[in-house]
Amino acid sequence: MTRARRIDRGPGCPFERGAQVEFRFEGRTVQGYEGEPLAAALLANGVQVFGRSIKYHRPRGPSCMLGHCSGCLLRVDGVPNVRSCEHACRSGIAVERQRGWPSARTDLFRTVDWVYGRRLDHHEMFTASAAINRLAMRFVRRMSGFGDPPSADPPAAARLERFEAEVVVIGAGAAGMHAALALAGEHRKVTVFEADPRPGGRLLDGACRIGRDGGAERGWAHLAGIEEQLRDCEGVELRPGTPVLAVYQGERGHEVLASNRGETCVVDAARIVVATGAHGQIPLFENDDLPGIFSLRGLDRLLLGWGVLPAQPVLVAGGAPAVDLAVELVERGVETGLLTDLEDARIAELEKRQVTVVRGQRIIRALGAKWIDRVELGPEGSQTPELVLDCGLLAAGLADAPAYELAHHAGCRVEFHSESGYRVVGDERGRSSNAHVFTAGHCAGAPDVERAIESGTRAGMACALSLGEDPDLARRLDARCAADG
Amino acid sequence: MAKTIVCRCEDVCIEDLKLGFEQGLRELEELKRHTGLATGFCQGKCCIAHAARFLARLKGGDDMVADPPRTRPLLHPTPVYRLAGELEAEPEGDGEP
Repeated sequence: MTRARRIDRGPGCPFERGAQVEFRFEGRTVQGYEGEPLAAALLANGVQVFGRSIKYHRPRGPSCMLGHCSGCLLRVDGVPNVRSCEHACRSGIAVERQRGWPSARTDLFRTVDWVYGRRLDHHEMFTASAAINRLAMRFVRRMSGFGDPPSADPPAAARLERFEAEVVVIGAGAAGMHAALALAGEHRKVTVFEADPRPGGRLLDGACRIGRDGGAERGWAHLAGIEEQLRDCEGVELRPGTPVLAVYQGERGHEVLASNRGETCVVDAARIVVATGAHGQIPLFENDDLPGIFSLRGLDRLLLGWGVLPAQPVLVAGGAPAVDLAVELVERGVETGLLTDLEDARIAELEKRQVTVVRGQRIIRALGAKWIDRVELGPEGSQTPELVLDCGLLAAGLADAPAYELAHHAGCRVEFHSESGYRVVGDERGRSSNAHVFTAGHCAGAPDVERAIESGTRAGMACALSLGEDPDLARRLDARCAADG
Repeated sequence: MAKTIVCRCEDVCIEDLKLGFEQGLRELEELKRHTGLATGFCQGKCCIAHAARFLARLKGGDDMVADPPRTRPLLHPTPVYRLAGELEAEPEGDGEP
């Protein structure tokens, strides 16, 4: 296993970062780039354990790189539980790990994990007497908990703003941006909220770029084009870095609550387009929570977006998106293996280049003390390993789970599909079960970026139609839907 | 035997779900209340789909899995100071909050 290093990000990278800066990590001085995610900077410095889990004190590290999971929580400038994959690296910040005794890196409470090898049922522990229970609770709170309370002064209350919007689009990914474009084309006033500081969603991640023949830059170039169109639109306001926290059903439509570091707003929205995308997932296998295991999108973002390679060799597992990522890593000179059931010309090409390609196997367990160093593979359903691979970094492919939550707030119907999870139910025009809420993209089950774009355009058109009759628009929308056959 | 962790935030492993099912828990809501699944920092973004798949397999199909547990605001952990400000302007005709 080689040490962490930085790799070339390639031309046209849409993730901006500033000059090299220094900051403090538990008393050490370490380097990072201004504006890159703190988690990426620490991984580039060889930090492997970011914290400890709540019950078994198992090591934790970043895994989604998109603000979805809880693996990268750190204490930053005296504030606990900061998601370091979302927190920008700045000069002079002081970063510490939380939880773990004597330290998160070497934590004696890990013994709980070893003593209770299968599982620890805490429901009836220390319940014999109230006094013992009180004592046990004090101890457990101390060793679990969510770090220590903030030592920094709390900031002043955020500015709270309330305004009305004709349409709120939640999510500026492929679907959300095209919904906003379609709405702007019908002269509707649109506010677009995006949780990530960088709009683009899946268009930012190489593995999910449009077409599969370009390389990460192709998706990035396409994104730049859409962004330019959006900037030229009258009536579209884009608010990146501002996650929507809740959707409430109000008397006059819906209220959308969104917030960023400086400002919180409540928007009275006549219509909502939910285009929230999907959450990265990791398949279930033994030790699936070991640091060094990432979702496909998470590893894509870390390696190609931020140019940080924590360890080699990289094993990429999954279907077409995994093959995309493996090809790009090999092109960049990263030692890569591929675990897939697919057969195509690109995989044959990889094999010619001495890349290890394994077929017909599943991951049974990951091995490693504080970071992954090997994986055991075996046939589907088997628990007996047939093959052991060295692995310094694992991207385990599983379909992302649609982000149905905000549509669920608004009372929209959702339904379950085994291959990905709960998704928002919408018809071919993006109409949900709530007449004021439309849905598009991956949260509504669009399987790829191209269909996410089409569904976004349709949802935008249908949303505009619901705000006022327009026979010409209705005809255009009918034609688009009829094209499906 | 090493653990297979389903919910990383609350350290819920697959054995917890299996035991819950053996004890008669058949709905996601019940598994959630029993194990603490989906109640941690990420609020289920990484585990709800896994748990629902687990139930679908044991109950014999996707349509046997009910709606997910109620999704409660707020979607992301949010410091209180962000919600502590006063609204600058209330739109006209607004009743009780």
